[in-house]
Amino acid sequence: MSQRGHLLDDAWYMDYAAGTLRSEGEEVLLSSHLEMNSHADGRVRELERVGAAVMMMSAKDSDLPFSADMVLDRIADLEEAPTSEHAPMIPSEPFVPAALDQFLLQKNKDIHWEFLGPGLRKAMLWTGEDGEKLWLLKAQPGVAIPHHGHNGSELTLVLKGAFHDGDQCYQAGDVEEAGPETEHDIRIDEGGECICLALTRGKLRYDNPLLKAMQVFTGL
Amino acid sequence: MFVALRSDSAPVRDRRRDPVRERLASKVVIEAEIGSARAKLVQLIERVGRSQDRSAFKSLFEYFAPRIRAYYAKRGLAQSHADDLTQEVMVSLWRRAASYDPRKAAPSTWIYTIARNQQIDDFRRSSRAQQIDEQDPHFHLNDVPTQDSLVERSEDADSVVQALSSLPEEQRYVLNLAFQEGLSHREIADRLGLPLGTVKSRIRLAMDKMRVSIGEQE
Repeated sequence: MSQRGHLLDDAWYMDYAAGTLRSEGEEVLLSSHLEMNSHADGRVRELERVGAAVMMMSAKDSDLPFSADMVLDRIADLEEAPTSEHAPMIPSEPFVPAALDQFLLQKNKDIHWEFLGPGLRKAMLWTGEDGEKLWLLKAQPGVAIPHHGHNGSELTLVLKGAFHDGDQCYQAGDVEEAGPETEHDIRIDEGGECICLALTRGKLRYDNPLLKAMQVFTGL
Repeated sequence: MFVALRSDSAPVRDRRRDPVRERLASKVVIEAEIGSARAKLVQLIERVGRSQDRSAFKSLFEYFAPRIRAYYAKRGLAQSHADDLTQEVMVSLWRRAASYDPRKAAPSTWIYTIARNQQIDDFRRSSRAQQIDEQDPHFHLNDVPTQDSLVERSEDADSVVQALSSLPEEQRYVLNLAFQEGLSHREIADRLGLPLGTVKSRIRLAMDKMRVSIGEQE
């Protein structure tokens, strides 16, 4: 892991910079992360320079079927047309990054908290193709989510507060990436409640039969 | 922008035919050219932003539009589609020029991000399968040009291209698949038949090397 808090692999920043992230869920999670973490943002900016270099080195198409004048005419037409007013930004909760706020506004989605377990709440935000889910997790200080894994992959961005997974500490702006092989042993820090934005594929896998039984109700 | 080799740090030597000195001198010239090309582009964008200057816009159009279109075409977009998106990017350039901040990004990087976002927006509006022909037979490994094939000096992009060409082939290839073909890191792993971890470490190694040679954006 990085010495500067928990960043993702450059592979993710490359996907962001190249515009090849697989889903809107990935895009909103990464955008929120970049907004909150200047080191991650710096990495993306470096990679965007690579993208720009590749674009600038593309062999120039010599004859374009359109001209600058045609584009200028189009701009003039567009400016005459009445522009649609942007909907006023509804002030949302302070933990929500602007990128997520905009996403929720665009999807016309409110944050609706539901019971997930003792001291745990979830709010489902978006479901993508192949069962991908974007959701918020709110946990009270000191809550533990003992040994569990995932059948798919997971990205978790800390929006507020902090948690420990084993001996690693994740704070606001940090992201944890987990694959099917990762085992988690999570404890929320005592300082205050912790809110995370999670993107998951596949169901959670609990060793604890009680939690497994509860899974029926939580839908995760 | 460059880590070393600036004119004021060049060692003073007497010998006329000093290869090190000659190399430094040409590097200084190149730097100056890049600097002025960049300053010129910044000025053009500012003229559009401040006074809706049509002739400045035309210069920017001539410089960027053919490259944006070629870039989209390489990414597998049909020609008419690439034409439409390129025009959209030029419209955005006109509209957003006033908000361009040269301290945050070189002109080419700024326009690149507009082009990229335009494609994402467009892509989200329709389905992926219709747009990208992933089995493009025209793909060549050597598509990232080496320094020798540079025709024009293009501000920031130049130093990045130099850094790219000095990467080991397997690392350059991965970046190439991402930025030129538009594959995600997981798609690259599938394409190359490599474990995800291997692809991730190649990207990491490539970026560690690039960071040293391209330095920070000033």
